Amino acid sequence: MPAVHGGRPFRPAADVRPGAPDTDFDNKVRLHFMSEQNRENRPFVDVVKVTKVYSPDIVALQDVSLSVDRGEMIFLTGMSGAGKSTLLKLISCMERPNKGLIEVAGRDTAKLKKGEIQELRQQIGMAYQDFKILPRHTVFQNVAMPMEVLYRPGREIKERVNEVLEALRMDHKKNLPAGKLSRGEQQRVAIARAAVNRPALILADEPTGNLDSEISTLVMKLFTELNEGGSTIIIATHDSSIYEGTSHRVVRLEHGMFTA
Amino acid sequence: MSRLKYHIKQTWRNLGQSWGTQIMTLFTVSLSVLIFSFFLLIYVNILAAGDRFSDELRLVVYLDHEVVPEMQPQIRKKIMDFSEVENIVFVSRKEAFERFRKQLGKNSDVLDDLGPEIMPPSIEVSPLRDLEHLSQLKEFSDYLATLPGALKVQYGQNWVERFGHFTELVRMTVIMSGVLLVMATGFMVSYTIRLTVVAKDAELEILRLLGASSSYVQTPLLIEGLMQGIIGSTLGMALLYALYTWAAGRLSGPGFLRLFDLTFFSPLTACAIILVSIAMCTGGSLIAIRKYMRI
Ligand SMILES: Nc1ncnc2c1ncn2[C@@H]1O[C@H](COP(=O)(O)OP(=O)(O)OP(=O)(O)O)[C@@H](O)[C@H]1O
Ligand SMILES: [Mg+2]
Repeated sequence: MPAVHGGRPFRPAADVRPGAPDTDFDNKVRLHFMSEQNRENRPFVDVVKVTKVYSPDIVALQDVSLSVDRGEMIFLTGMSGAGKSTLLKLISCMERPNKGLIEVAGRDTAKLKKGEIQELRQQIGMAYQDFKILPRHTVFQNVAMPMEVLYRPGREIKERVNEVLEALRMDHKKNLPAGKLSRGEQQRVAIARAAVNRPALILADEPTGNLDSEISTLVMKLFTELNEGGSTIIIATHDSSIYEGTSHRVVRLEHGMFTA
Repeated sequence: MSRLKYHIKQTWRNLGQSWGTQIMTLFTVSLSVLIFSFFLLIYVNILAAGDRFSDELRLVVYLDHEVVPEMQPQIRKKIMDFSEVENIVFVSRKEAFERFRKQLGKNSDVLDDLGPEIMPPSIEVSPLRDLEHLSQLKEFSDYLATLPGALKVQYGQNWVERFGHFTELVRMTVIMSGVLLVMATGFMVSYTIRLTVVAKDAELEILRLLGASSSYVQTPLLIEGLMQGIIGSTLGMALLYALYTWAAGRLSGPGFLRLFDLTFFSPLTACAIILVSIAMCTGGSLIAIRKYMRI
């Protein structure tokens, strides 16, 4: 029986009601973004006619539009170089579009101030295709970072990090420096870090690229749990095994454009 | 409070990553504080020593005739025109004669056949005892020589001049070591911060992507500068105190001149020096953070 089912059940990302006691900063931020969403009842992620050109003239995305509702899980597929990573980077404000509008949680990302981008990013868990983990920090330290940024109490961090690492069968390596791990293990560290905060939005870039089918199943199980808890999840992948027969939406990018 | 705990924990991690440089910086800060306050202490003690030589510092203007009481205010004013003084005493022939007699003690009978007219009348001028006035004694004495009826002006010329030059030298050293203190500590502190920032480049980039607030990233570095200021300057001051205690023990042995009766800074001055150093270290880290960090 996978470890995800043991222990404390995941707290759903949206489980913060105005009446519930919320003294922590994290919840306030979450509430802030939620209320915007509820007020306007718009898609959680709304990409409208976006074009992204890398200098000098590489068109990564052309007139791309995509709406993702709150609580949705969606697969973003397409060949290598189709622009999947670029789209995720645009949504997380790592890159800026040349044309078009990107709204997250009802807010135009082009108009966010520095502090607001920080707030938004605290609500996004992104598993990068190139992992972006710190090789000299331990697995535990890497995964704990998003929670530390939110000043969560140490006990909670320990509990939650262990929980996620267990779910990905990485708990036995938690005290090793991440640089010493295999690619597949590093990938799981990146996924654990994206999931640890139960963020409102998870962007997973090729999350199963280096994993065998058994571990891939664990990853998808983790995502499904988070999605059931209220997280919106966008998974960019060309691993058809993880979306075959799924009931979730699958969209396909080709040469920077969506195909029907 | 839990945030502060976070920041302290993070500071601790930073220290662990670059303890070599941290110790270098600490060393520089304490050494600068030590050097600066060492010279300042010498300066303060020299001024105090100058105080004890007040008699030597008196200028005596010998006159060819006595100043009648009615004329005294006018001459007083004339002297004051050149500079403020501490005291002016008019000594008549008679008073001078009496003093001389007292000085001779039991030999005073040699004066029996003589009268007060052998003694010249004089004016004794005690200048203000601070460096500004003491360094002008030569000019002051030249000025006094132009008073009506002045025959000659006498004061501890050699001693005063040497004292003046020396004090001036020490004063320059104090100023220069003060500049050194500011530059060295500022530079070293910001250099360490820069090293930390460069070493943590990848980490800072990830923190940025995770949405870390500026205070989350910057506060530990600020604490780092603050700690270097506190520990470094306290250490420097403590070293100076140890040095002082050692020197005072050597110099003020029994029978030795009271001249070398050393004094240390008042607690207030010592605290002020420490506080200024801390402010400089913190300021240095603040500037470095602003300059090198993108978050
Ligand atoms: N920083 C960049 N500078 C220049 N060109 C870039 C940059 N990033 C991406 N590109 C180009 O944009 C296009 C889309 O890249 P992107 O990484 O989004 O593709 P992808 O769909 O994620 O591919 P893969 O499945 O291989 O990860 C590619 O042609 C790529 O070469
Ligand atoms: Mg990609």
